[in-house]
Amino acid sequence: MGKDECKTMLDALNKVTACYRHLVIALGSTSDSQNLREELKKTRKKAQELAVANRTKLTALLKDKTTSKDDRAEYERLWVLFTSSMELLEVDMKRSLELGQDFPLKVPTRHFIQTGMTGSTTTVAARAMSVQNMKYDADSNIDTTDLKELQAEITQVGQMMEEMQMKVQVAPWAVEAKQEAGAELKSTLSIGNSSVGVISICEEEPKDEMDEGGDDNGMITCVAGFMFIVIVVIAGVLGYFVVGG
Amino acid sequence: MTIRNVRDHGQRYRPRMECLKKVEAVMLEMQDPKTGVKSQPQRLVITTIPHVITGEDIVTWLANRYSIEKEEACSLGTMLVAFGYIYPIQDHKRLVIKPDASLYRFQTPYFWPAQQWPVEDTDYAIYLAKRNIRKKGMLEMHEQEQYNSLHKWMNHKWDFIVMQAKEQYRAGKERKKPDRVVFDCQERAYWVVHRPPPGTISAMDYGLERMVDPNTEEKQTSDYFRRIIIFTQQSIMRPRVKSSVSIGALVKYSITYYKHDPFLTPCLPSNSWVTDDVTFWMLNMTNVETPTKMRVERWTFSFGELLSDPRGRADFRLFLKKEFSGENLAFWEACEDLKWGTAATMNEKAQQIYKTFLARGAPRWINIDGKTMEVTVKSLKHPHRYVLDAAQTHIFMLMKKDSYGRYLKSPVFKDTQKRAIDPNPHRFSVTQLEANARKRRPSLSPIIVRQQEEEERARMATSGPVDITQLCRFTAPVPHLAVYSGPLSSPPFPICLPHTPACPSPISVTIDSTPSDRRWEDGGGAGEREAVDQEGRGMAVSSRSRVALSLGRLLRRGCNPSTVFASLSPKCPAPAGTSSRVQPISTDQTIQAPPRSIANFFQIKVDIPPECRIYPIDSEDEEESGGASKGIGGEGETEGQVKEIICPWECLTPHQGAG
Repeated sequence: MGKDECKTMLDALNKVTACYRHLVIALGSTSDSQNLREELKKTRKKAQELAVANRTKLTALLKDKTTSKDDRAEYERLWVLFTSSMELLEVDMKRSLELGQDFPLKVPTRHFIQTGMTGSTTTVAARAMSVQNMKYDADSNIDTTDLKELQAEITQVGQMMEEMQMKVQVAPWAVEAKQEAGAELKSTLSIGNSSVGVISICEEEPKDEMDEGGDDNGMITCVAGFMFIVIVVIAGVLGYFVVGG
Repeated sequence: MTIRNVRDHGQRYRPRMECLKKVEAVMLEMQDPKTGVKSQPQRLVITTIPHVITGEDIVTWLANRYSIEKEEACSLGTMLVAFGYIYPIQDHKRLVIKPDASLYRFQTPYFWPAQQWPVEDTDYAIYLAKRNIRKKGMLEMHEQEQYNSLHKWMNHKWDFIVMQAKEQYRAGKERKKPDRVVFDCQERAYWVVHRPPPGTISAMDYGLERMVDPNTEEKQTSDYFRRIIIFTQQSIMRPRVKSSVSIGALVKYSITYYKHDPFLTPCLPSNSWVTDDVTFWMLNMTNVETPTKMRVERWTFSFGELLSDPRGRADFRLFLKKEFSGENLAFWEACEDLKWGTAATMNEKAQQIYKTFLARGAPRWINIDGKTMEVTVKSLKHPHRYVLDAAQTHIFMLMKKDSYGRYLKSPVFKDTQKRAIDPNPHRFSVTQLEANARKRRPSLSPIIVRQQEEEERARMATSGPVDITQLCRFTAPVPHLAVYSGPLSSPPFPICLPHTPACPSPISVTIDSTPSDRRWEDGGGAGEREAVDQEGRGMAVSSRSRVALSLGRLLRRGCNPSTVFASLSPKCPAPAGTSSRVQPISTDQTIQAPPRSIANFFQIKVDIPPECRIYPIDSEDEEESGGASKGIGGEGETEGQVKEIICPWECLTPHQGAG
């Protein structure tokens, strides 16, 4: 059905936007590299494809006058999701252009900012592209050539946004969100277990941030508690035998 | 879709942020592996995160690089931290640099406070949602408040925000642990700078946004050079002051205002912006009963200071009321009102001001010299905003040279000075400061404040500014006084006239220019006749109704005497331009008594204690009221009639006036 397709596509766009933001944040820092630029480019292209697809689908759905009121409300909600994603994407693209220009890769006198981030962003990009491993095959002056393309793409995106506003008459403020405050907490139980085995108490933030590994801590306390109970039970049993015996 | 009125073609610039580009250059220099700041790895329990720097290193580097003292390097470093280019790791809410072993880290360029990337609330909402996830719903108080308010007004985007927050959270998890820690610190530092928690002093208070980027290099076209030429030409033509004089003035100003500057001297009880305690503002409100000592001290600095402080002006007004020379201040205020008021009401206001203050025989006639009066009256034919500027300046200087000095020595002022309060400084502990921050509430809406002001003004207008200045004989019969009194009958006239010394009128010049008078009186023509009719009925008008009569009616009738009695009037008793220190010839007795009854006559509601007969001998008004009172004589006015309302010109029957 149109709605579900739309939703999946929007989810994908959302994911790519989030990953793109993570990648742009790494620009100019010590985790910047050739690979990062390539990842940015690929993610960007993917985002654009998704954007175009989303746009055609949604415009078609919204232009259809025969949809019921509920459906229309739903489509408008999806439309707001879409435009918000596009806005974020546009801003991030502009910023990546600016940062890319400010921090060229090959100039030896231009040093990256020592932010403390040294790891690569491969996994993030892989998540964005929905692949297992990223393949890097760009040439060495990607930072300069890519920027021109980037400029063109930014103008493209800008035009697309303006077109969209013209064609579709949706009042964004009239849309009611389905999620209430704090909705993000609900489905996060599955999120918190990615690094269970690692005990990481961050010394940087002694008081309120035992939660750098907060979600990990939860699991660990459960496990520890369980072990403790097991040990106590065994001790009790043995003691019983000792006393009994 | 966010509504954007200005499609962002880089059109929003923050005026004071020109320094950002320069700071970025400093940051880049600090990164140099050879000449930059030395960084070390930070050891946590399991992980090691590189690139951490100590405050001491930063300060030393800055001091060496720019050849400055350690203190200056400290403040420069604090600026770097306050802008968000470097963030503290340990005490993340205090954006200062501590020149010891405390740890800092550089911020990633994405999070730099760049000139053209405004901080978006959408991003903040996403950040708060992410933090909510991470902290499992336990946000800090101010974060919770922000979250709720964002949820309320960004409700249409909330789905997007939740989705994006979750996605960003998951994407963040893809990175390795040390990077994740760093990223979290970075993001948190960014939002501490741009959405400071209570108690954090933010450097990002930047005022209005401009349309021009102050960082761009201007293209040197011919227009650019032309502007430079014009500017230099004008600079040459500017009048110059000797530097000794100007510096002396600066020094004097600094010395005078040193203690009154909250940046240099802590204000008492405490600076509300810093401690979130509003006592300071409450004590210094506009209509406060007892002002603070500092405020009263400021009034003594200059006349302008006294007038610009509403409380000071009120005090001065009270003093002038006792001296019966309130029309000067009233005129000055009316001129200000004209200058700053709406264009639609300008004509009407100018007309009213003329009728009330400037016309011959006006109820609150002010004494300005002939030349100014001539110029003003002439230009009143075509009124504009600044038509009364000359007269206003004249009156201002008059008040400044004359009344101001006396005010500072007067009992009114001395009393205010004695009663002025001197609050003790607050000493808040950290928990108290936090409690204060939590109790912050918005003040009254400006709409309500304006309504209150207007009510106040209306109240003041109806209660009448009751100082009477011009009881000259030919103004006597006049309905313009009807506001305060009933209209008069003619009998007092012949009594009044002979006693008045005929002094040359300062307005004699303007008497000839009756055409302008005539013009103003168009509207009042009808009222004129009405006034004559009502003269007889005037007695019946009760004192209460007198007081209740609107200012409008007063003014409408106010112009009548000029035409009706112009022919009758000899030269105006007002002394021509002399500083009017001439004592009236008649005895003090006659001067004193009528004014008091006049005072009571007009100030029906106010009780003037008998000793408050501050009748300054050198006040100009005294001439007029002295003249008038002389004319009226002591007939019928005795000390005992303090409470009765008596028309001073109806000197024969006291009870008539009360009727």
